[in-house]
Amino acid sequence: MNRPPCSPTSASNAALVPDKQRVAIVGPSGSGKSTLLGLIAGLDRPTSGSITLDGVEISTMRESALARYRRDHIGYIFQSFHLIPTLTALENVLVPLELAGMSTAQDRATELLNTVGLGERLHHYPVQLSGGEQQRVAVARAFACHPPILLADEPTGNLDSATGQHVMQLLQSLHRDYGTTLVLVTHDHTIASSMERVISLRDGRIESDRLTDPDPRVAEPPL
Amino acid sequence: MNRFIFKMAWRETRGAWRHFLYFFACIAIGVGALVGVSLFGAHMERAVTKEARGLLGGDLEIRLTRPLSLAGQAVLSSLGARDIVFTHVSELVAMASRSTPGSFMTQGTQIIELKAVESAYPLYGTIRLDSTQALDALLHPDERRCGGRSCFGAVVQESLLIRMGLSIGERLKIGQAMFLITGVVRTEPDRMANAFTLGPRVMIAQEGLLAAELVKPGSRVRERYLVKTPPTMPLEPLLSELRDRLEADSARVTSYRTAQSQLKQFLEQLSRYLGLIGLTALFIGGLGVGTSIHAFLRDKLRTIATLKAVGADSVTVVSTYVVQAIFLGSIGSLAGILLGIALERGLPPLAAALFASDILDQLGVSSELSQSSIWPLLKGALLGLLSTLLFTLWPLLKIRDIHPGAIFRRDAEQATVGLETAALRWWARWGLTDGWNVGTAGVIIFGLCALSVWQAGSWSIGLLFIGATSLAITVLFVCAQAFVRGLALMPLPRVLSLRYALGNVVRPGSQATGIMVAIGIGVMVIVTVSLVEQALLSQIQDNRPADAPTFFFIDIQPDQAQGFVSLIDRQAEGAHPELTPLVRSRLHAINGKVIKFDEAGEKDEKRTEGNEGRGKQWYFTREYVLTFLDRLPKDNTITKGEWWKPGQVFSTPQVSVEEDAAMHLGLTIGSHVEFDIQGATISAEVSSIRKVEWGNFSTNFYMILSPGSIAAAPFTYVGTVRVSAAKEVPLQQAVVASFPNISAIHIGDVLDGFARVLDRLSLAIRAVALFCVMAGGLVMAAALAATRYRRLYESVILKALGATRSLIARAFAMEYVLLGAVAGLIGLSLGSILAWALVRYVFDLPWSIHPQVLGIGLFLTILLTLIVGFASTYRILGQRPLAVLRHE
Repeated sequence: MNRPPCSPTSASNAALVPDKQRVAIVGPSGSGKSTLLGLIAGLDRPTSGSITLDGVEISTMRESALARYRRDHIGYIFQSFHLIPTLTALENVLVPLELAGMSTAQDRATELLNTVGLGERLHHYPVQLSGGEQQRVAVARAFACHPPILLADEPTGNLDSATGQHVMQLLQSLHRDYGTTLVLVTHDHTIASSMERVISLRDGRIESDRLTDPDPRVAEPPL
Repeated sequence: MNRFIFKMAWRETRGAWRHFLYFFACIAIGVGALVGVSLFGAHMERAVTKEARGLLGGDLEIRLTRPLSLAGQAVLSSLGARDIVFTHVSELVAMASRSTPGSFMTQGTQIIELKAVESAYPLYGTIRLDSTQALDALLHPDERRCGGRSCFGAVVQESLLIRMGLSIGERLKIGQAMFLITGVVRTEPDRMANAFTLGPRVMIAQEGLLAAELVKPGSRVRERYLVKTPPTMPLEPLLSELRDRLEADSARVTSYRTAQSQLKQFLEQLSRYLGLIGLTALFIGGLGVGTSIHAFLRDKLRTIATLKAVGADSVTVVSTYVVQAIFLGSIGSLAGILLGIALERGLPPLAAALFASDILDQLGVSSELSQSSIWPLLKGALLGLLSTLLFTLWPLLKIRDIHPGAIFRRDAEQATVGLETAALRWWARWGLTDGWNVGTAGVIIFGLCALSVWQAGSWSIGLLFIGATSLAITVLFVCAQAFVRGLALMPLPRVLSLRYALGNVVRPGSQATGIMVAIGIGVMVIVTVSLVEQALLSQIQDNRPADAPTFFFIDIQPDQAQGFVSLIDRQAEGAHPELTPLVRSRLHAINGKVIKFDEAGEKDEKRTEGNEGRGKQWYFTREYVLTFLDRLPKDNTITKGEWWKPGQVFSTPQVSVEEDAAMHLGLTIGSHVEFDIQGATISAEVSSIRKVEWGNFSTNFYMILSPGSIAAAPFTYVGTVRVSAAKEVPLQQAVVASFPNISAIHIGDVLDGFARVLDRLSLAIRAVALFCVMAGGLVMAAALAATRYRRLYESVILKALGATRSLIARAFAMEYVLLGAVAGLIGLSLGSILAWALVRYVFDLPWSIHPQVLGIGLFLTILLTLIVGFASTYRILGQRPLAVLRHE
């Protein structure tokens, strides 16, 4: 891959996200939000500097080790869902479980899809699901292996506001029930303010980093 | 993890099987061709092995070119004490004539292949007759049927009845005897292929042959003694014993094992060479497989990036798609096996035509699958699987370069799998800086070589095949590439449809080069076969010298020579019959060293024969037809020594030797050669070496003796006569009426027969080569399918901008015509070059261009690309723009 000579995320920035925190990353387009998230997930490599997750330096890992690390430690939710079109909802959730070699993968995936409210649509293909449903499958997939870190890149960006709210409630409840660290990129100030901490980026640098009061409206999901 | 790979491979296949139709078809076509050919070969071989004794006619065969001496007969009679049975068969060419004048449409006289047998015939195998009566009964009919006189029966091939307008119950005159036609013979166990025959078979009893008075001293006759041994008796000791005891008769003794191995060798070679053409089809199909996989991966870019993003490493993803490829390859191979079985069922009629007999029926060849079929089927499946792997590995390796970060890019589809960066050196661009890539390339090259060597059954032929194939592909590729580049440099045409067509060919990522290579190879193979056939046929039919004789009259006895010449002069004035004396002989010794005909030499002979046509041993053990002449025959030139002066008398006979024979026998001027002529030895001194123009359709000789040297030996004359077409039949009838023992061989008929065989052989090769063209068509379809989406998108945008359906159709048509024309032209040129090299250097014949072959070839190629092109893209034409653009 050809990388641009200079990554928008500068080395002089340091951000420490403690365990089990809910963090929102905000900033204008092109400020480097998605790149930062991609770097944390090991989907891209930094041209300089380092990324440490749980005390493990991931920026120097080999590709296959990185893939395993992602599988075991990170769940990732994309703005445009990125479900595999040839697989059913259930099979999409099965992928990380089977990659991890879990023997009860089938039961676990079914259970997860029940949790996100898709128990009736296990065998539907992505094209047969609505946007909200697709994103809920993506959430179930991201959460399949109980990753300690859940990264979400504008998870509600392609959804209408009601569906988006539903997905956010899902993420919040997963965080609450399993104590997952949640880092999400968003343009939506309501969502940002529902997080414990908001990091604001501009031109690849951290502009501000503040703690917020949790918003009781989204903190109690009706699940 | 492993289970994941298999599950994922299955899910990917389940969802995208339409993608893989061409993948299957490409593999299936190649495997089908290979399996069909090798199944046919295996079934033939099985039948030949089973019928080995029948094919020779006995456990042992003793073969002579003259009647067995009394001493020899005593040897055979003594075998009876050991429970060894033998029977005597004589074979010769003779003339048959009607006893009564026939109708205007039928022939009064006919050259026949006569076979005289005894009651015990056949010792092994069965003779199939159109009669419920036994052969012996048919050959010795009841005297009442002959009007109370003792008479002989004849069982004939149906073609004789048709040609002479006769039917069963009528009479036939052969030599001095009359024969009652009592039956029709379909197959004989010991007559394999009657592709090359001078005439229809007529079977009579030995007593009949005697009465016909055809066998005279020096007559051309093949005497065979078929020997059947008790089952417990070992053959080898008897074989050597008979060789020793019959040496004085110059008898050739062979066992069914050696005879069988020669036939097997022929069948094996036939199926091997046809198999190589099948392998070419498989390789062409491989290009289609590669194209399909390439296109598939381009569609799968996001899926692969997603898989990597959720934690699958490259090894897992590559393995998944390799497993998928193997799975698809297996299905394709399976389909290929079924296709091959179907093809093999279709081959027997072709084989029957090739051998001009019901050979398969005769051998009891069945298309039933049995144990011996397993190996060809397995081999086909394995070849299919291996080539699938070899052609998919390279594109699949590119999966490693797909970064999970690609998921973020809107333009993921454009980040094509084979990323090209102009600044890199070619080896870097081809990914040869990466150990895995280099390793895989090595495995692929090694694998292709191994497949070829395996199929060819020989290192040299296999490597030659792969070398020639790679060279052809490279040349085709370079030509196609040069054409595309050249087209890109040309100014764009004004006509929109043509511009669009050209654009589709020259654009980056266009599949034009691949299509042209795949189609071009198929065209090349088929054109080469056709051109070589044309060259051979025209040599036979058109390039016949103007003064070539019409007839060869053989077996003219010395006392008939005068009468024969005056008869010809009376019948056809100015025919100028030329008589040449003939004596049959074998080499006895060279420079005092006696030539032994032994088993080791025989094996050696076979080996060398396989390699260079005529091995050294062939020159030592073959039968030499000698002549003695005053003057040097036409088309002969002395290269060493001197021809004798007319009338010169020598104390030692002089011999003039043909240069190839001299080289192989190690003869120079002054060498001594001893000939064994019907038991008598004659020594001669080499006085000259000659170069002979063998293709002049005249009587040519390896050895010519000086006049007078063998006048005492039993010789016959061969007469060449040239007459106008109108006089051919009356002349032949007049000769047969006056000299029943003289056979008239019509050169035109012989050459026509040869042309027919050539045509059948070429048909068989072209039938298999057709698979190459079909594979090429499939590759094109696969390549077009790979660009289907892009075409769809572009055509709906053109429509949205106001283009009509017919304009888009015209643009497509022009593109396909262009592809076909260029692929055809390159294929035709390469095919012509290859054919030229073969004709010029292998067959040693003059070369000429055959515009009709090239024209038809080009036309058919363009037709093929047009049909394939529209079949794969016609649906695009009917798409409504809005529906497509909304989805985008």
